[in-house]
Amino acid sequence: MATQHSRAAARFMISPSVLLLLGWMLIPLGMTIYFSLLRYNLLMPGEHPFVGWENYSYFLSDPAFKTALINTLLLVVGVLIITVVGGVLLGLLLDQAMWGQGIVRILVIAPFFVMPTVSALVWKNMFMNPVNGLFAYAAKFLGLQPYDFLSQAPLMSIIGIVSWQWLPFATLILLTAMQSLDQEQLEAAEMDGAGPFSRFFYITVPHLSRAVTVVILIQTIFLLSIFAEILVTTNGGPGNASTNLTYLVYAESLLRFDVGTGSAGGVVAIVLANIVAIFLMRMIGKNLDA
Amino acid sequence: MGRITLDKVTKSFGEVQVIPPLDLTIDEGEFVVFVGPSGCGKSTLLRLIAGLEDITSGQIRIDRQDATHVPPAKRGLAMVFQSYALYPHMSVRKNIAFPLKMAKMDPAERDRRVDYAAKVLNLTDYMDRRPGQLSGGQRQRVAIGRAIVREPAAFLFDEPLSNLDAALRVNMRLEISELHNTLKTTMIYVTHDQVEAMTMADKIVVLHAGRIEQVGSPLELYHTPRNTFVAGFIGSPKMNLIEGPEAEKHDAHTIGIRPEHLDTSAESGLWEGRVGVSEHLGSDTFFHVHDTGLAEMLTVRASGEVALRHGDKIFLTPQMDKLHRFDAQGLRIA
Amino acid sequence: MARMISSRRKAVNTAIAWSVGLLIFFPILWTVLTSFKTEAQAIADPPIWFNFHWTLENYVTVQERSNYFRHFWNSVVISVGSTLIGLAIAVPAAWAMAFVPGKRTKDLLMWMLSTKMLPPVGVLVPIYLLFQKVGLLDTQIGLIIVLTLINLPIIVWMLYTYFREIPVDILEAARMDGAGLKDEVISVLLPMAVPGMASTVLLNIILAWNEAFWTLNLTAAKAAPLTAFIASYSSPEGLFYAKLSAASTMAIAPILIMGWFSQKQLVRGLTFGAVK
Repeated sequence: MATQHSRAAARFMISPSVLLLLGWMLIPLGMTIYFSLLRYNLLMPGEHPFVGWENYSYFLSDPAFKTALINTLLLVVGVLIITVVGGVLLGLLLDQAMWGQGIVRILVIAPFFVMPTVSALVWKNMFMNPVNGLFAYAAKFLGLQPYDFLSQAPLMSIIGIVSWQWLPFATLILLTAMQSLDQEQLEAAEMDGAGPFSRFFYITVPHLSRAVTVVILIQTIFLLSIFAEILVTTNGGPGNASTNLTYLVYAESLLRFDVGTGSAGGVVAIVLANIVAIFLMRMIGKNLDA
Repeated sequence: MGRITLDKVTKSFGEVQVIPPLDLTIDEGEFVVFVGPSGCGKSTLLRLIAGLEDITSGQIRIDRQDATHVPPAKRGLAMVFQSYALYPHMSVRKNIAFPLKMAKMDPAERDRRVDYAAKVLNLTDYMDRRPGQLSGGQRQRVAIGRAIVREPAAFLFDEPLSNLDAALRVNMRLEISELHNTLKTTMIYVTHDQVEAMTMADKIVVLHAGRIEQVGSPLELYHTPRNTFVAGFIGSPKMNLIEGPEAEKHDAHTIGIRPEHLDTSAESGLWEGRVGVSEHLGSDTFFHVHDTGLAEMLTVRASGEVALRHGDKIFLTPQMDKLHRFDAQGLRIA
Repeated sequence: MARMISSRRKAVNTAIAWSVGLLIFFPILWTVLTSFKTEAQAIADPPIWFNFHWTLENYVTVQERSNYFRHFWNSVVISVGSTLIGLAIAVPAAWAMAFVPGKRTKDLLMWMLSTKMLPPVGVLVPIYLLFQKVGLLDTQIGLIIVLTLINLPIIVWMLYTYFREIPVDILEAARMDGAGLKDEVISVLLPMAVPGMASTVLLNIILAWNEAFWTLNLTAAKAAPLTAFIASYSSPEGLFYAKLSAASTMAIAPILIMGWFSQKQLVRGLTFGAVK
């Protein structure tokens, strides 16, 4: 169907998207790299001398960077473990025959649609608050000492909140994958003498592996950039206890107005995200052919 | 109206030439079937005629007009697709009326033609349904309806029956033949099924690897296949092709004998063998015969009453006047 | 296929699933309930479940004190605006890639996706400074531009996967039937593409509505959408639970409803068609 004429038209139709995205990618990226090589603080007007790698060595040697890197990893890995394991279990549960399946599904996926600032605030105030939060009431009811989640275990608390937000995503995707499993395959396995556990591990699990990979990779992209939840609940504190890379770069640039160091941090964040991205792209690229 | 000429037409996809230079004339009112194994280029050829693909070189003339660079809509041809390609969001009536609407025909005439087509195709009761609510056969008829309302110079059918079950396929085959008798419009019909080709065609074009192997009426192809490919492709069960010493006796590289042209006997004959699988169709029985001393297994068509079992001894004698002879290039020796 | 399952087993499944479902949903339910309480009831010990005097007072107060509706409107303008502009740019691109695929179409798609992988914080500084310079900070337009660009790859991808499912046969049939490009697009392609486009729009509005990096960093009082407005509750107003709940309920309700309608498309939209 493709004729010369339609090819030219196609190129014309694609170009706006391409040009816009190209601009969006190259201009700010170029500026970030450029800024990262300058001594540039918004509080100090005047020249922005070229300082080479100074900002990078400053950013990378700052103890806050190491903390933030570890926090970022803990946040990503913690949420991934909780959501993937929880998602498989919930998916299996929802895949069973029951009454009101549609409604349960709706209940389970609801948290995904709650904006990050709302979920962070609701959890922070109405649940985790050591005086008036529901957890405090529950602790008192059980005769325990109320626990101040966000100052005692800030990172864990944030992992909990973020997991609540992302569990529905994992569940929904894994459930979709489970439902796309050919029932005849399972029945064939049953005829071949496989028991329920063998069927789960030899048929269901391999079938889910692709969906699990997709969940892990896509969530990782989003989890690396967790920001609002930290801003609203702990402001990265106490100290740097709940600062991740994204929040650290934000703090350098827009709280301490150090554009140079902030940009260097931004470049570091981009490099790290790209390592993850490469795996994700391979994964999705394969599916394009299917 | 409806004479189509292909003049040295070629088609390449990138480096790959799928249609080497090809000449073909389709006469007005003819029912022409393109037949060949899958991948032989028959659908591509149809799409070149339709204008859905650009030809790489050569010329296509429709009614003596050069149509090589005419867009599909302007060629005056109508096509029935393998998937039917009905518009899922339109009712049957709107589907059939669509080409007329595109031609900006006045609504009264449009309705008249749509109603007529509906009547001819037994669709009157379904006019307000969506394609999704119809059975396969009904969808097929809607697709045909959409083609006939235009009163095209020729109809193009791209394997239209391959998505139907066997019983329906036989019915639709008859209906399409009937339609051709009524309309007397040129039809070009693509199929991989030689039975469809034999039963429907005025003229069969056998294609193989983009090349035309033979053009002729069904009986011409049956009686005088031009080469071993056509000999093996046309006719069911397939012609027995025998090489080696037995062929040399007839001064040929290969000899061919159709299963229906082998006489069977329990006592004597030219070749002695053993019965393998037998397929009983009621009216006929096909025997597969082994151990005849020939390299090839032979297929025999006998009447339904012949009762032979697996392992029984059988004698076969070819009817010599029905023997086909081919040379080393596979071409027919006259 | 479907097997008979004993109703006892089904009852057990139902009980477990409903308990888990309600547990996960509980924070939202609790927020909605609290929004109808007085402040005193909201922090009552022990907590009050349903047995309270239902009031709309909090909703009224939130609107009066902080002009809630303006932020709500900002959210609407920004999410719908960025989605529609994105759609207008993406439809031709997705159409062309789906129906006139070239050798590089796949690479192009992957490249578009890769722009989505750019962590926002990596380009925060230049965007902030650029916007400051040209006066786009704290404006609806500024946010619309950014959200259009960050969601454009998703829109292109989703449309592409939907368009690709439209059989080429049908477009060819239309061409044979005499439809020109305009008729082909309007009479045949669009009606078949509308469901896919609708779910693309829906998912994109949800993503834009809940976007909480750029909206927090690029707005102040004037153009702040609900994400940023709610963030301002982080202290000390946040301790007024009933009002916080009322503001939150209003912020999430429209999206929750849209989300429930689009749950099927959500999976394929968010996984770029890798899971269907």
